[in-house]
Amino acid sequence: MVFALTESQESLWQIANWAGLAVVVAVAALLTILVLLVRTIDRRVIEIKATLTEAKANTADAALLDTTAAGLDLVLAEGLEHHLFLGRVLKKVRS
Amino acid sequence: MNSLIVFTVVDIALLIAGLALYLWIVGTQLTRIATNLEECNELVQAIKGNAESIEGNLEHINRTGGVVAGALPLLYGMAEGIVVGATYDAEKVPDRGPALPASGRRRSRLHDGVGYLPDGPVKSAHAPLADHVESA
Repeated sequence: MVFALTESQESLWQIANWAGLAVVVAVAALLTILVLLVRTIDRRVIEIKATLTEAKANTADAALLDTTAAGLDLVLAEGLEHHLFLGRVLKKVRS
Repeated sequence: MNSLIVFTVVDIALLIAGLALYLWIVGTQLTRIATNLEECNELVQAIKGNAESIEGNLEHINRTGGVVAGALPLLYGMAEGIVVGATYDAEKVPDRGPALPASGRRRSRLHDGVGYLPDGPVKSAHAPLADHVESA
């Protein structure tokens, strides 16, 4: 089986081949840009992960606020004791 | 004719190979990003869990601290009242003049200290020393 093409058909085929090669190059360039952008995203995600790890370490001691609140309640209770004591002493001193 | 066919095949093969290569690279990168984002999600959940107790406890601390800060001036005032009531007031003390000895000049006890008793142990105003008692 023999394919017979005219000159113009061969020329068009040739043009189509070169155009296809240009498309391959363009696709490669665009995909290279895509890969670089994805690599940038990957790097920044790693930075975000490091920051979140530090934030987790920083907020790990937030549970101590509960202890601090309880301690402050004790300070308040002690202050009320002082208030009662000073009130009694003040009455004696004035009388 | 044959060269055109080969060129076309190479063209298509390049396109497919290029697409496959980039797909593999991007797929690998996206898999790594997905893994990192999952870990980030876990970290965010942990941070959220840590931070949930902050607001309530801070409100508690601020409220209690405000009560303590408001009560301190009252305590200061009471303490100052006690200090004023208990402090020595010079104006209330009468002027009694300088303190004088009760009975003139006191006898020196230096001789007694060294064991010398010029009037003898009997006439001494104080108890005699132990050796004097034994000798007597």
